[in-house]
Amino acid sequence: MSGPGNLWRRRLATDFRAALAIVALLAVLPLMVTSPYTLGILIVSMYFAMLALGWNLLAGFTGQFSLAPAAFAMLGAYTTALLDYHAKAPLALGISAAILATALMGWLLGRVVLRLRGPYLALTTLSFAEIARVVVGNSHEFTRGDQGLNVPSLMESRVGYYYVFLAVLAAVLALLFMLMRGRAGRFWLAIRDDETGAESRGINVVRYKTLAFALSCMVCGLAGSLYGTFSQLVSPELGLLLQTGLVIAMVVIGGIGTLTGPILGALLVYLASEWMRGFGNVQMIVFAALVIVFARFFRTGLWGLASSRLATRGGAPAKPAPSSP
Amino acid sequence: MTLALDLFVNGLIFGLFYALMAVGLAMIFGVLKIVNFAHGEFYMVGAYVYVLVSMKLGVSPWIALPLAALAGAGLGWLVERTLMRPLYAGYGSWSIMKDEYAVVVTFGLSLLLINLVDKIVGPYPYRGPALIETSRFSVGPVMLNGQKLIAAGLSVALLVGLALFIKRSLWGRQIQAVAQNRLGASLAGIDATRTTSLIFAISGLLAALSGALLAPLINPSPDVGAFPAIKSYVIVVLGGMGSIWGAMIASLLLGVLESFFAVYVSYDYRDAFGLLILIAVLIFRPQGLVGERGREV
Repeated sequence: MSGPGNLWRRRLATDFRAALAIVALLAVLPLMVTSPYTLGILIVSMYFAMLALGWNLLAGFTGQFSLAPAAFAMLGAYTTALLDYHAKAPLALGISAAILATALMGWLLGRVVLRLRGPYLALTTLSFAEIARVVVGNSHEFTRGDQGLNVPSLMESRVGYYYVFLAVLAAVLALLFMLMRGRAGRFWLAIRDDETGAESRGINVVRYKTLAFALSCMVCGLAGSLYGTFSQLVSPELGLLLQTGLVIAMVVIGGIGTLTGPILGALLVYLASEWMRGFGNVQMIVFAALVIVFARFFRTGLWGLASSRLATRGGAPAKPAPSSP
Repeated sequence: MTLALDLFVNGLIFGLFYALMAVGLAMIFGVLKIVNFAHGEFYMVGAYVYVLVSMKLGVSPWIALPLAALAGAGLGWLVERTLMRPLYAGYGSWSIMKDEYAVVVTFGLSLLLINLVDKIVGPYPYRGPALIETSRFSVGPVMLNGQKLIAAGLSVALLVGLALFIKRSLWGRQIQAVAQNRLGASLAGIDATRTTSLIFAISGLLAALSGALLAPLINPSPDVGAFPAIKSYVIVVLGGMGSIWGAMIASLLLGVLESFFAVYVSYDYRDAFGLLILIAVLIFRPQGLVGERGREV
């Protein structure tokens, strides 16, 4: 009963348990933290955790290095906001529409960039992101341009919002775990490690790559839609390339190609950046430097370092990093 | 008709400035098959060195210009030495994800440089001193000013010099060899590592000079590099990834096309226009205008 498949399964299970532990920690946190300001910071960091998980599905698990996660968050947020602004649609409808619309757009983008790899893929998705932002920012009569749109809130209570974000984060995490444990996850990893090889073994590369795009963009769109209702203002700034940079920083620091890494990275980076605001806005300098250091020397990120440390201490021989099976 | 001529000449001049950026990017792509997402920051550093040296030290802008070039070359060299080695030295666990490593590291570098300059120098735009102070004048129907004319002339000289360097000099031929076949070049006794350093130094130098020459026209702020960087991605794709000649032609073409698009089609969407070209070229003609078939399939 021991093969490479089982090794990956065990690793994934450990990974999922660690991610669940973080979610559980977040679930009891409001018992200790009651300040609405701190809760707000935690909500935003959960928003980034969703984006990080979504982006990691594409970049970390499937090897498709997209530079458009923030653009999809913006598109999701605008879908909800525009439905409210033009059609006075209820929020439940608006959020569902955001999920559907971003999944569809992600699927389309996936189809279009199907044959592009590496730097070509990065440039195309970057162009898509910038075009989306320029179009949204300049369609003054339809989206009110850079002024942004006001969105009604889901509820008054901060704690309520906190648990909404936590529930969605947990649901996204569970969905990703189920997918990664099953056939789709294996196929994605195979495509990441060797696309030609995967195709030659009969994997429908087209279907699974577009599926990864659709799901990843959907998660980002849902996160953006929820964030829009929370901040009650949607503007093209949500789709800035800087935001994508932040998401990449979180995933790389936390550990790319894992479930725990993106959540851990998002929480640590966002909380640390709020904390560092007090020291003269040095947070972006620190994170950019950390991204370079991690990418250069600690490819597996914090979670990779921690899990290999755990494995060694448990008496088992040191395993390679969880992300390079 | 006179408007069209004015647009054409000014578009051509902007194309020259784009070319200084894009040629370096194309050279890096040609040798390492990566996109340097920090290329705009080489430009930004050049602009700042030029402005700060000439304003704070009070020296002539003609001395600040070579200093900016030197700073760009040094930065490019440093980046290659510290960050690019894992791409070809064959160590590190990123080996199966080289492209991703390059994106993450250059993207991180871009954020780092922007925020460092923002913190040290401040977020406010500076206006650099012009190489010569003249008011705007017209040559026939074309509106120009002295700085633009001198910068355009210097750009032409630099591009011609670069073309001669690549074609004729020993180092230039080594660059061509490494771009064609890294392993083959090293078997033939060419130090591919040193050549890569040289390419980064040249790219940094050209981008920094481009920033310095434009500093009096664009008022540099820390994020000033984003805009020309995106232009040069479009150009490098349009010209054929990795092709220096393609990049030069595509720069001029994009400069002219954009200047017409902004007036005759839509000013608001002028920045989206180039990106549409980029996507269309990558999907329908991935080898670019003149380049060899460069896409991995």
